[in-house]
Amino acid sequence: MRRLRACFTILPFAVGLLFAAPRPTVPLESASVDVIVTAAPEYIPQAELRGQERFPKGAHLLLIHQGKAEPLVPEFAASADANVYFDGSRVIFAGKQKLGDPWQIWELTLKGHSLRKVVTTTADAERPLYLPAGRVVYALHTAGGFRLDSNDDGHPLSYVPLNPTTEPGELRLAYTRGSAFPDDVLQDGRILFESDYPLGDGRTAEMYLVYPDGSGVESYRCDHGVSRWGGTQLSSGDVVFTQVTGLARFTSPLAHAVRVPAPPARYAGSIAETASGDWLLSVRTAPNPHYALKLWKPGTASMETVLAERAQDLVEPVLVAPRPTPTRFPSGLHPWSYANLLALDARLSRDGVLSGIPARIRLETQNDAGKAVTMGTAPVEKDGSFFIKVPGDTPIRISLLDAQGHVLRQEHGWFWSRGGEQRICVGCHTGPERSSDNRVPEVLTHTTTPVDLTRVESTQLARPTAAGGQ
Amino acid sequence: MRKASHSSIAAFGACILGVTSVAIVVVALWTAKPVAAVVTGRVGERLIYPSPLEMLQSADGKQLFVLCNESDEVRVLDATTGAAMKSIQVGHVPRGFSLSPDGSRLFVTNSWDDTLSVIDTASLQVIATWHVGAEPSSVLEDHARRYLFVANRISNDVAVLNPQTGAEIKRLSAGRGASYMALSPDGRKLFVTHVYPNPSAYPKQPASEITVIDTQRAAVVDRMQLHSIAGVFHLAISEDGRLGVAAELHPKNLVPLAHLEHGGAFEDTLMLFGADVGNQTVEVPLDELERYAARPFGVAITPDKSRLYVSNSGSEIVTVIDLPRLLRYIHLHRAPFVQDLSASSNYVITRIHVGHDPRGLLVTRDGSKVMVANRLEDTISVIDTRTNRLSSTIQLAGPAKLSVLRYGEQTFYTARYSFQGQIGCANCHIDSTFDGLEWDLEPDGFGRDIVDNRLIEDLKGTEPYKWNGGNPNLPTECGPRTEKYFWRSANYDDLTLADLVTYMLSLPPRPNRWKLPGYELTPAQARGKVIFERTVDNFGNPIPLQNRCSYCHSGPKGTDQKSFDVGTRKPTDDMSRFDTPQLTNIALTAPYLHDGSAATLEEIWTVFNPDDKHGRTNDLTKDELNDLIEYLRTR
Repeated sequence: MRRLRACFTILPFAVGLLFAAPRPTVPLESASVDVIVTAAPEYIPQAELRGQERFPKGAHLLLIHQGKAEPLVPEFAASADANVYFDGSRVIFAGKQKLGDPWQIWELTLKGHSLRKVVTTTADAERPLYLPAGRVVYALHTAGGFRLDSNDDGHPLSYVPLNPTTEPGELRLAYTRGSAFPDDVLQDGRILFESDYPLGDGRTAEMYLVYPDGSGVESYRCDHGVSRWGGTQLSSGDVVFTQVTGLARFTSPLAHAVRVPAPPARYAGSIAETASGDWLLSVRTAPNPHYALKLWKPGTASMETVLAERAQDLVEPVLVAPRPTPTRFPSGLHPWSYANLLALDARLSRDGVLSGIPARIRLETQNDAGKAVTMGTAPVEKDGSFFIKVPGDTPIRISLLDAQGHVLRQEHGWFWSRGGEQRICVGCHTGPERSSDNRVPEVLTHTTTPVDLTRVESTQLARPTAAGGQ
Repeated sequence: MRKASHSSIAAFGACILGVTSVAIVVVALWTAKPVAAVVTGRVGERLIYPSPLEMLQSADGKQLFVLCNESDEVRVLDATTGAAMKSIQVGHVPRGFSLSPDGSRLFVTNSWDDTLSVIDTASLQVIATWHVGAEPSSVLEDHARRYLFVANRISNDVAVLNPQTGAEIKRLSAGRGASYMALSPDGRKLFVTHVYPNPSAYPKQPASEITVIDTQRAAVVDRMQLHSIAGVFHLAISEDGRLGVAAELHPKNLVPLAHLEHGGAFEDTLMLFGADVGNQTVEVPLDELERYAARPFGVAITPDKSRLYVSNSGSEIVTVIDLPRLLRYIHLHRAPFVQDLSASSNYVITRIHVGHDPRGLLVTRDGSKVMVANRLEDTISVIDTRTNRLSSTIQLAGPAKLSVLRYGEQTFYTARYSFQGQIGCANCHIDSTFDGLEWDLEPDGFGRDIVDNRLIEDLKGTEPYKWNGGNPNLPTECGPRTEKYFWRSANYDDLTLADLVTYMLSLPPRPNRWKLPGYELTPAQARGKVIFERTVDNFGNPIPLQNRCSYCHSGPKGTDQKSFDVGTRKPTDDMSRFDTPQLTNIALTAPYLHDGSAATLEEIWTVFNPDDKHGRTNDLTKDELNDLIEYLRTR
């Protein structure tokens, strides 16, 4: 029966490949630039954020060479999510050798067609991306959705990093209860991933950043609102992404996204930038029900079709070409199970002026059922600073309380700190554009020992206290 | 049977698919290109490079004068073609120059031999060499030609000279590390910046100033306070005199250095002043959210006041600012602006990549070009001000080979290795020295183990490094430690690290201005030396070996390279034993002690040595302490 199911799933795809006439119409800037794209009978955008299958009817990677599309790994029952290594020599992808297999991370050398499994997991492992210094990041399917994980890429390094990002082996990077799905590895070494907003507690797709050791998680930008996902960094450093109304981009100078004036259409997921600065996009225009691969020169009014399949969505294009290696991040995590958080001025926020004077903060974690558990409170100094020790590798949320214990402001969603992380927050949801004032926070003039909030407080919020240092 | 039939069909389909696909893949041509190998080819010779630092245009606009910092010369180029015309040898390590108001004379400050070269611009000959103050760094003659002002970096003042004879008339106190000057267009006011913050004790914010001098009276008339600024470089005044701009560093030394994002270590800013900004100082950032304009140095305003150009030596760029937009932004929004990394999007037009360590800027008289001296590349980038694109590059004649030392110096000055290009070694070691600041580094805990930054000249034989003596050698100090806790980003490869270390170990001590020729000592210095080496205190009691100055501060560098408990531990310090610092040019490097808690040398003994653990000193009189200080200044 299983083989029969496999047959019925594969056959439409096979027939499509063999007999549906691909419509390659424009060469890329030169025919020598190959492209790998995921072809799927059905692609469901943002399914990953619900922990669901993006390609419910299967998917296969196609290699577009000189305008012709051919299966990249025809021996696989399914394949998707290609990511080409920095020197252009190999490609990592999610694949199923047999249809009943879970998605696993595989690697193919582009010369010699040598295949090897990179990571073995019992659950689906998808969207692998190469990290520098012999690591990969991918999404691991769990009961709660997708989880950001990292592992060795299996290649011995030609050098020994002075400060490796992490110890060898598997490393969990995300500690949110929602799905976290990698989009790209930025040139500064951070991982761009998509999740919900508010983090771990929302329904709007949003993009976040995290270092390859799981520390430093934050929103890419804090102009939240519209769902946005499928981010790709361009050579300029801008990040282009898909949103409901089209394409938009983050730029280094601006604290908010800027709409990309692309032709009206539906766009899907990540894009690829060619050497000449054109964009390869997955585009769907009525009445065509499927995403085609199109080439667009930014600033122009029209696009040219690179490849279209009658019964396939073509998504996640990548160029088969060398590209700059992102900067390796040297982890500075301490060997602790907890983290230290220092807020410089909790009163500062993009959310506006507080309605009262913050006297304390309350730290909450989420238990396995997702319920908030109060870990205790800590005083907020007159300058808005506080210093706390929090449990590492677990979702946490901070609320600002007035002297009567009333909540003045509560953090949007749940974030995490890695065990051994020491982090500074300029304010509470101030946005990445806000830099710190150069002054010693008042809390550090009283003590350099953080208030320990790593154990559940038995009295919880029973005793509101006045502001002041400890 | 039925089941078998379905299976056969499936197998057949899969087979067709598989065979076809494999055939296609086999014939496919892969076009991945190999990554080009990086060719280093650095030579071990000590080569002298021109190292252009500043530029001037002759009065008739036909010649371009280029101050060459390493080859001790002024190069004269054809301003139109860039062709070399002449080389004029000047003093050692020239740092600044200017033309007399009529353009007939070119004054050059030679920072390491404390002289000023006077060049006749007609004959292109040095016609006089005058001795001036300590480390003269820039020079300007007032419009009336009554005074010649020289900013002295080490003596922290502006010397007022007779412009005809070079005779010193008086000294005016300026900020610490006085270095750069600009005249108002009417010539009445002289504005002076300084590269080290004025003395202040941790945890106070660093403070700097723009010293304003009335050129008619040769007197200081104002000190514009620059809060939380440490390191102010060139300034420029608009032709209408309504706007002044100074390039500066805004450090975050009082915030634990846990990470670099969001301007965690430094912001790169401009200080605006003058009537255009309401006669107050207004600080505006140059950085962006993910990209920094590291170490602004040169500033130049176009004659029509439409554009402001800033060289960013760490980022190796020139930032172009729309001045009307900047002023509009300031007027329409409420200060402060410096904490908003998105502010620069309102006035920065573009960033132009130039060469290694871009420094001095020059706007040509007609405003059509901006030139930038790329010090560590021996080139001058020429920017077309209409397009704000690089129009040409002038290559100065010099060694064709790249030496280990030069590559190490390039590595020292670039910000490219740090996270998002925010900082480089030279951020905290200004011009390969120090920054006069204390820093709260992350690995020891927030608010703990505050450390004073140290001078890096004459380092050989002073290891171990760090105040806790934790790093046995420079490769450790500059390699893993720097990568992990400063750059927060992948560091150099081994060869580059070796070159960097070679460069750092090559840094000589700058000439000691307190030493007499022939190493003779003044009477006070001689008395101080006796105190330094004494074995018996003023009461006739023997001083235990470890309590003598000369025991720990022994050897040619003044360190026995060991750690001791000298009673200076603070409640926030994790350890009580500290590395014995070298005494090289100690007079320059205030504040003192591991955490910079002693503002002066005297405070080391009068405030922080109550139990004589830091040497036996409590028996010394005020005069004797002064003598001891006089001696220490010669080290």
